[in-house]
Amino acid sequence: MAKILVADDSETILLLLRTRLEMEGHEVETAADGEDVVTAVLRSPGDYDLLLLDAMMPRKSGIDALRELRENRVETPALIVSAHTDGGNGATQSDLAIAAYIPKPIDFDWLFTKIAELTGG
Amino acid sequence: LRGPPIGSQAYSRGRFRLSPSLANRLTIGFAIAFAVLTGLAVIGVARFLQQRQDFENATARSYQREIEARNDLAAGRQPGLARATVEAQQRQRQVLRNEISDETRDTALLVGAGLIAGLTGAALLFTGLISSMRRPLEDLVEASGRLASGDLDVRVKVGGLSETATLGGAFNEMAGELQRRAGERDQLERMKDEFVLTASHELRSPLTSVQGFAELLLLEREKLSPKQAETVEVILDNTRHLVRLLNDLLDLARSDAGRLTIRPEPTGAASLIEEAVRTMRAQFDTRRQELRLQVEADLPEVEADRDRIRQVLVNLLTNANEYCPEGAQIEVVARRADADVEIDVIDNGPGIPAEQLEHIFERFTRGDAGETQRVGGTGLGLAISKSLIELHGGSIDAASSPGSGSTFRIRLPAITHDRVEVT
Repeated sequence: MAKILVADDSETILLLLRTRLEMEGHEVETAADGEDVVTAVLRSPGDYDLLLLDAMMPRKSGIDALRELRENRVETPALIVSAHTDGGNGATQSDLAIAAYIPKPIDFDWLFTKIAELTGG
Repeated sequence: LRGPPIGSQAYSRGRFRLSPSLANRLTIGFAIAFAVLTGLAVIGVARFLQQRQDFENATARSYQREIEARNDLAAGRQPGLARATVEAQQRQRQVLRNEISDETRDTALLVGAGLIAGLTGAALLFTGLISSMRRPLEDLVEASGRLASGDLDVRVKVGGLSETATLGGAFNEMAGELQRRAGERDQLERMKDEFVLTASHELRSPLTSVQGFAELLLLEREKLSPKQAETVEVILDNTRHLVRLLNDLLDLARSDAGRLTIRPEPTGAASLIEEAVRTMRAQFDTRRQELRLQVEADLPEVEADRDRIRQVLVNLLTNANEYCPEGAQIEVVARRADADVEIDVIDNGPGIPAEQLEHIFERFTRGDAGETQRVGGTGLGLAISKSLIELHGGSIDAASSPGSGSTFRIRLPAITHDRVEVT
């Protein structure tokens, strides 16, 4: 199973994501904003199989955190959770190698399928 | 209402100035023309009378002299001179008759020429006045047309006659006012759209939590009592309804803001329809309704955003499913019609009353109050469907007669492949 770094500024959503992902057998670490994500990933870049980041967070958004990581040659697959339903920006998606935008409310069956595809599990 | 009524400023300006108004000019023009023509006529008649008087006096004097000469002749005084005088007076009167005839003709000619000149002058004056009005009026007519067709920037040049200047001023004030109000309305619309977009965005996170945790509870259904499980299902149903409402409102706000976009690509209409029908199959089974699919073979491709067209079809099928009674028959028929692909969703349900059918594609139009209690729609689905289909360059219509069901027809332009004939 995969080791996943989940970032969201809402503790409730973090709890929900952690619970569901752990029920699926994944190992979950959480971060409250983009700064935490960058710090955690740069400390041990090979540690995570997948990043699941909220698009909008205070201090540093998921998009900005991912941009910083990609600039530091971190290739970890990433999913962006977004409250926007229009699928986000196509150019940003290819630039930052975002595997998919996950619209809120989250369709967990679809999320699990995506995770399985990306982590080869 | 703020400020003076439109046009009042221009009117009051006109009142305190010696204005070059058309009415004033016409009055003055008429007075001058009347005076000139009357003067000419009076002079003509006076001269004619004067000449006549002179002629009569001269003729009378001549007869007087002739009579005196004839008396001399009868009395035998200087018969030679008297006879010469009689003949001279007769010649004199002939000369006078000729003269008066010439003078009368000259006077008539003079007066006639004067009248013609006066009338021509008056005609020129009035033509000039009328043409001085024509230009500003034509400008006004043209500007009104442009204003009516939505060009709120249009203004006319104010000047010339006070009537047209007043009219032009009033027109410009009106156009300015319209523009100001349109600007305010646009700003309000933008604020509303922004509000809906932001609200929809902000509501999504808490809804994610509610739906997520309700789903989580149902994953452990075996630990819940039947009553609890049912309660959680109610929470979940309502959350899904809220999400649907939110998505619909968002689509509408985007549509209003001109930001509802589609990503069309060549798509097989048949597979799209089959996909939508497959999604909805379970709901129809639940209500023991018969859902039939009849797709013409070799249906051409359409330029379509798959997700959006599926959304429209699912919306139409959901309506049929929810508004038709149990056991109803619903049919989806797809065929080529001229340059379009036509997709009909036909049901044999209760139908739609004419007064509702008229407004069916307007937002928040829904079926009867009693029906909508049971049916969980948002009243926005058809309005969004219409926007989406129109974005595809197609059309959507509804036909119904109460008691014998309804038909919703989508028309999407088919992709025509211009094949090059190889010989």
